[in-house]
Amino acid sequence: MSTIAEQFSRLRSRHQRGLITYLTAGFPDRNTSLRLMENVEKWGTDLLEIGVPFSDPIADGPVIQQTSQVALAQGMNLGLVFQHCQHLAGHLSIPYLLMTYYNPVYQYGLKNFARDCRKTGVSGIIVPDLSLEESEPLRSLLREQNIDLIQFVTPFTPLARMKRIVRLASGFLYVVSVAGVTGERKSFDPLLIKCLKQLRNLTRLPLAVGFGVSTPEQIKYLAPHVDAVIIGSYFLRRLADGKIEEVEKSMANFKVFLTNHE
Amino acid sequence: MRAKTAKGRFGRFGGCFVPETLMPALTELARAYYRFSRQKDFKEELASLLRRYAGRPTPLFLAERFSRFIGCEVYLKREDLAFTGAHKINNTLGQALLARWCHKKRLIAETGAGQHGVATATVAALFGMKCSIYMGELDWQRQHLNVVRMKLLGAEVIPVRSGSKTLKDAINETMRDWIASFPYTHYVFGTVAGPHPYPLIVRNFQAVIGREAKRQILEQAGRLPDYLVACVGGGSNSLGLFHPFRRHREVRFIGVEAAGRGLASGFHAATLCRGRPGVLHGSFSYVLQDKNGQIASTHSVSAGLDYPGVGPEHSYYREIGRASYTAVTDSEALRAFHLLCEKEGIIPALESAHALAWVIKNRRRFRKRDIVIVNLSGRGDKDVAEVAKIEGKE
Repeated sequence: MSTIAEQFSRLRSRHQRGLITYLTAGFPDRNTSLRLMENVEKWGTDLLEIGVPFSDPIADGPVIQQTSQVALAQGMNLGLVFQHCQHLAGHLSIPYLLMTYYNPVYQYGLKNFARDCRKTGVSGIIVPDLSLEESEPLRSLLREQNIDLIQFVTPFTPLARMKRIVRLASGFLYVVSVAGVTGERKSFDPLLIKCLKQLRNLTRLPLAVGFGVSTPEQIKYLAPHVDAVIIGSYFLRRLADGKIEEVEKSMANFKVFLTNHE
Repeated sequence: MRAKTAKGRFGRFGGCFVPETLMPALTELARAYYRFSRQKDFKEELASLLRRYAGRPTPLFLAERFSRFIGCEVYLKREDLAFTGAHKINNTLGQALLARWCHKKRLIAETGAGQHGVATATVAALFGMKCSIYMGELDWQRQHLNVVRMKLLGAEVIPVRSGSKTLKDAINETMRDWIASFPYTHYVFGTVAGPHPYPLIVRNFQAVIGREAKRQILEQAGRLPDYLVACVGGGSNSLGLFHPFRRHREVRFIGVEAAGRGLASGFHAATLCRGRPGVLHGSFSYVLQDKNGQIASTHSVSAGLDYPGVGPEHSYYREIGRASYTAVTDSEALRAFHLLCEKEGIIPALESAHALAWVIKNRRRFRKRDIVIVNLSGRGDKDVAEVAKIEGKE
């Protein structure tokens, strides 16, 4: 069983939904970023998603674009992210994943990448621009290291494709809440719940909803249908405003709506 | 020779590296393209539009005074005479027609120099569709006249302020729009790059250039040319010219990239000359990037060539040696720009001036009987103000 699968079965046995926190590595600066990551477990995060900044993040909205540019301007790169991970291995007991676009991984070398993920305790990889069709080379290398390559599903994914995705997926399924990019939103497409129900019938894999999750009301609405929610832009916007304490407070706030679920 | 197009691959290049959110849109597009583009009604409608609206066929013109200067026979494929002033209309008409057959109500597009934006806004008006064009803020300033043209045609023009504020960032922004709007929107991609099926669709719509040129050169010169020369930014005018000649191995293909201030300066856009294979905007192809895989900023005097990626079929042609890729600098392109104005009375686009500059630079290599076809991909009216500004400074 992978580290991620173990974490989800722990959450399930405690009747809890997970909080997956996304942070851009190197934002607002390298030191603060590392200190934040050390602390998120204490503040209530169940899985940490570490964003490797990329110059052309086509699946991301303005907040993550902006934080990525700031991080890049300070010299953040994949090698340094692995140094962060090495350090986190001694501080975190929750699983941490890397979210990265494909080109930095390809340039690093797929084999080197898989090896360094293993070495630094990374449990899963999310590559938003790696479609199922192109994912086999990376997936097989990661599988050898017992690392999950997380797959995406959207409310517009046709059933036949959903089935193919589910067959190849491991760790959890990243369910995109809306037709759009990352960033905060007021409401969800009604298709989302239908999609989550369909997935429940297809697989026992945990379901995590991301893109546009930012309010307790949304979490309350989603909680009966999911195993975890993924929150990024909301936290990053607070960090951009220099309000670290609000990140801590809001995590506790979100947690209330994620506990006590059958 | 045949480029393999299974799964959208050209050799090892191409593919479909996009967020899952875009897959339904691309799958639908590929299916519609394969289905409709083969139908007789579709083909006839497109041919009729190209003839009666876009003014095709464009002439193949033997540039005699320019030829005398070079020392061989130089023909110009006059895409500058196609409606809206460049080859871009061939592709936008094809894609807009495809969008109409798919019952889409809105067209969106990225634009660099503004030519593709204008060509998209034009067909949107023609078909009564809504239209939004994304344009990098830097290009917005360099090509302001095209912004005005697009607005006149009823398009909404959206400045893009992220990243390097040029074409690549405009593409990112258009993709983000499409992710949220594809059920009623078609993304008119402007070049032979991007995820499958775009490299295939755009190349096939642009191949009308090469088909005409082949027929015309056989009529006028009685034989196939020795060289085809075209500028390469994303690579659509060049592939459009090359593609119908691909099985004639005796015809040499020359793709000319933008060397900007020189390949050593770091300020250029010569993707095939100086890039490495990687993934940008949905396909695996040559990419200008740093050692960490971050996409590089590019520079060229010509906004239309200012792009760090290139179509995957070009990467394939480079790898198998079917085409040669080279680059000329801003100042070489500017000299060629003036020379064509003076020798032939034709103001070429700065993009096309790159292709002419290669011919001028290599004039000693040609024999007197050699036939060279240069794709004059666009007219230079849009560049007159920029050229005046640059030369006023110097």
